[in-house]
Amino acid sequence: MSSNRNLKQEINEKLMDETLRGSLNRFAEAYPIARAKAYESVDDIDSLRNSVRDMKIETVENLEKIADQFEEQVTKRGGKVFRAKDGDALKEYLFNLCKEKGVKRIAKSKSMATEEIHLNHFLEEKGLHVKETDLGEWIISIAGHKPSHMVMPAIHLDRNQVAQYFSQELNKDIEPDIAYMVQEARIALRDEFLQADMGITGANFGIAENGATGLVTNEGNARLVATLPPIQVVIIGYEKLIPTIKDAVPILRTLPRNATGQLMTSYMSMISGAAPALVKKDGQWVEQEKELHVILFDNGRLKAAKDDKLKQIYQCVRCASCLNVCPVYTLVGGHVYGHIYAGGIGAILTALLNSMNDFKQINEMCIGCRRCTEICPGKIDIPGLIEYLRAKSVEQDGLPFGVKAVFENVLANRKVFHNLLRLASIGQKPFTTGRVIRHLPLFFAGLAADRSLPAVADKPFRDRVKKVTKKIDKPVKRVAFFSGCNIDFIFPETGESVYKVLQDLNMEVVFPEDQSCCGKPVLGMGDHETARKIAKQNIIAFEEAKADYIMFACPTCAETWHLTYVELFKDDPEWSKRVEKLVHNVREFTSFVAGEYDKVGRLTKTSGRQKVTYHDSCHMKRGLSVHTEPRQLLESAPGYDFVEMKDCDKCCGMAGAFGVKYTELSMPILKKKIDNIKDSGAEVIAVACPACMMQIQGGLDKQAPTIKIKHVAEIIAEQIKE
Amino acid sequence: MKKVSNNWKQAFPPESVGTAFFEEFAMRAQNVAAKVFRVKTAAEAQSVIAEIIKSSDAKKVVATPEVVSPLNLPTILEPLNVKLYTEQSDIRTHADTSDVGVACVEFGIAETGSVCEDGLAIEQRLITTLPPISIVVMNSANVVPTIAAAFETISKVFDRGYISFITGPSRTSDIERVLTIGVHGPSQLVIIAIDEEIREV
Repeated sequence: MSSNRNLKQEINEKLMDETLRGSLNRFAEAYPIARAKAYESVDDIDSLRNSVRDMKIETVENLEKIADQFEEQVTKRGGKVFRAKDGDALKEYLFNLCKEKGVKRIAKSKSMATEEIHLNHFLEEKGLHVKETDLGEWIISIAGHKPSHMVMPAIHLDRNQVAQYFSQELNKDIEPDIAYMVQEARIALRDEFLQADMGITGANFGIAENGATGLVTNEGNARLVATLPPIQVVIIGYEKLIPTIKDAVPILRTLPRNATGQLMTSYMSMISGAAPALVKKDGQWVEQEKELHVILFDNGRLKAAKDDKLKQIYQCVRCASCLNVCPVYTLVGGHVYGHIYAGGIGAILTALLNSMNDFKQINEMCIGCRRCTEICPGKIDIPGLIEYLRAKSVEQDGLPFGVKAVFENVLANRKVFHNLLRLASIGQKPFTTGRVIRHLPLFFAGLAADRSLPAVADKPFRDRVKKVTKKIDKPVKRVAFFSGCNIDFIFPETGESVYKVLQDLNMEVVFPEDQSCCGKPVLGMGDHETARKIAKQNIIAFEEAKADYIMFACPTCAETWHLTYVELFKDDPEWSKRVEKLVHNVREFTSFVAGEYDKVGRLTKTSGRQKVTYHDSCHMKRGLSVHTEPRQLLESAPGYDFVEMKDCDKCCGMAGAFGVKYTELSMPILKKKIDNIKDSGAEVIAVACPACMMQIQGGLDKQAPTIKIKHVAEIIAEQIKE
Repeated sequence: MKKVSNNWKQAFPPESVGTAFFEEFAMRAQNVAAKVFRVKTAAEAQSVIAEIIKSSDAKKVVATPEVVSPLNLPTILEPLNVKLYTEQSDIRTHADTSDVGVACVEFGIAETGSVCEDGLAIEQRLITTLPPISIVVMNSANVVPTIAAAFETISKVFDRGYISFITGPSRTSDIERVLTIGVHGPSQLVIIAIDEEIREV
C-alpha cells in the first residue's frame, strides 16, 4: 500500500458512492436482526462465546506443541506440511511445486491468507491459469478490486455493475438479473473445477488431533476444489489451529450464526489426510491418493502469539461480524482500510500481517464504541488492541512534533490549559448563541455544517463551586467530585446538578482545585508518557481530598481512572499502590445515585407528561456496564414518561477527537442518532455523558431544535426543591 | 466403497440419538430449502425417487453402490428410460452431466437441519457435489440433537478421510446480498429418511 494515501479523499469518494451507501445501510439494518434470530436456539450465548475464547486462548498458549502435532498428524496421513514464514516463502514453495508437477491450471476457493499476499497476481505473472471460484471473489477478481468485506467480498457492487463485469469476462451481453448471473457463473466456472491440475483452498480451522482441515462454505465451490484436482493445497494461518476434533464445535456454533445469520452454512467439510482422487491414465480414470500439501502460514502471526495482548487475534474466527456493526465500516465499506482486512479487526491484522505504516493511516477510524466487542464470538477487545498498537507505535516513532508539543506544554500543564479555555470563552463570543456556536468563519465552517459546536461557558464550573457548595451538618459521606473538562468548561450546569443531588442525599461534596483533564485525549493518541504526568497530578489532588468516594458524571473520565490509571502504573510499584487505593472509591454518578435512591425507596416508577428517551454512551454501557440505572432514574422522575428509541446504544459519532477530525464520518452517524431520537417522539433526550451531550446537542440545534437535551443529573436535580 | 467408518451406528451417543429428534431436524432442513420425506420402507423410498426422476424429467442418474442395491434402483429407472451409472470411472465421467445423484448419508443434526456425509470415497463426493439434484438417503432413527452430539459421534470414528455436513442446497448471497439457490453445488437437496434399516452393518 502506498504510504502517501489521501485518506480523507478516499473517504469522501466512498461517502458519495450511492450504491455502496445504500447497500451498506440495508445491511447494517438487516444484520443484527438476522444474527439475533440465528441465536434464538442457543441457550447461553455468552457461555458459548466464552468457550470459543477459552479454547483459543489455550491453543495459543501451547501453539508450538499444537502446530507440531498438527504437522505430525498431517504427515502421518500422507500429506506434506510446509511452514511458510512469509508471503515470499509461500510463493516460492508453491511455484516450485507447480513446476515440478507440471501444473498449468489452478482452481481456488476462498482464502483470505492468499489475498493477504496477492497470490493470484503472482501466479498469473508466472504464466499459470488461476481462477477464483467463490462467486464474490470471482466477481472482484474480474473487476480487479480488493475484497471489501471478509465474508461478502463484493458487497460494494450492485447487480448492474456485476452484469457489466460479467459481460466483459464472458464476451456476451449479460442481463443484470441475479439468478441468471449466478447460473452463468456456474456454467462458466464448472470446467475450471473439472480441468484443474491443482486445487487451492483456505481453511476455517485445522485440527491438531488428526491433521484435518475444516472448510465452511455456502456455494459448494470449496468441496469441488478439494475433490476434483489430483493435487490439493491448503493454506492455513497458525491462528486457525485447534487442539481436538471436538474443539470445532464452538466455532461451528458461532461462525455461521455471526457471519451470515445461518445456523449452519450449506457445506462444512473436514478433510484429514490425502483423500482418494481420480486421475486419467491411458484414457481410464484411475483412483490414487491425492497429493496433499498443507502450508502453515506465519507472516507475522507467530510474533503476535508471543505478545501478551496481541495474541488475542488467535480468538478471531473470521466471521467479520465486527464490521457488520461498526458505525464507520457501515458508512464507508472496506476499501478505505487500505490493505485486505477491513474494519477494526482489519486494522489490527493489517498492523500485524502487513505493516505498521498502513495501520497508522487507518487506526483512527476505530471510534472505540465497542459494539464489536459485544458480538465477537472470540470476545476480542478490538478497540483495546487498536489503542495498544497505537501506543506501541507512538513509543517507537513518537508523535508528530506539533501534537507532542501541545500535549506536553498545554495538556500536561493544568494552568496553561485552563487559561486557554478561558480565553476561548471570550474569543468565541461573536459566533455564540446560547450554549452553542452556530457558525464558524471560513475553513472551519465545515465543522459546524450539520452540527453546532458547543460554546465554552462564560464561567467554568470550578468558579461556581463556592456558590453551589452547601454546608452539610453531619454528612453521611464525603464525596470528591471529578468534573472532567467537559463539565468544567462546557456544561457547568451539569456539575451544579451533581452537587445538588449529592447534597440532597446529605453528603458533603468537595472539588479538588488541582484536578485536570483525566488524560483520555492524550491516551487516545497513544501518548502514555504525558498521560502518566497528568494522572499523577490528579492522583495527588484526590489523595489530598481524603474523600470516601470520587464521583464522576462523565463515564469516559470514570473509566480512565478506574481502568487505565491502573494499567498506566502497573510497572511502577509506588504509584501503582497509590492508584489502587483511590480507584476503589471511584463511583459513576447515575449508578451511585440509583443505588442510594433505591435504599430509601425513591426509585419507584412514575409516569408524567413529558416524553424522555435515553442515549447509552459507549463508554457507559460497554465500558462501565451501566445501562439500567439511568433508566431507573428517568422512570422514577415525576413529570417524565420514559420511552426507548431505536439503536439507543449506538455511538453518536463524537468519539473524542474523531468527531472533529473526521467530521465527514461523524455527521452521518450523528444524523442517524438524531433521526432515531425524533422517531421516538421524545421531547427530551437524556444522556449521562457530557461528550455525547456535546455532539447530540450540536445535531439537535441544527436538525431538531425543539428537542431538549439534558444530563440525567439535571433531570433528577429538577425534582429537588431548594 | 471406502468409508471413514463402516459402523457409524455404534458411535452415536446412546442418549442423544433417535427419531425423537427427527421432527426438529426435518423442520430446520426445510427452513433452509431442503425437501424432506420420511418413509417406512425401502419400497416407499423407491417411489419417492421415481417421482422425483419423473417430475424433473431426468435422463441420467449417478448413484453410489451403497444405495443402488438396497433400493434396487435399476428396476425403477429402467422403465423410465433413465441411464444409471454406479461404477467409479463412470461416475467420474458422467456426474457432471447427470441430472440426479443418489447417495447415503450417515445421520441428521436437529440443531441445524444438516445431514452428515461420510465422503472418503471419491464417488460419494462426485455424486453429492456435481448433479443439480442431490438425493440423500438416511435412516430416520439416526438423528442427533446438536452439533455437539454430532461431534461426539465424529470424534469416535474420524481418523482420516473426508466428512461433510450438508445443509440445504448450494446458495450464495454474493450479489446484493440476495439469497440465490444453486451456485456450484446442487440446486435441490432431497432428504429421504427411511424407518427400516436398508444397509447392512
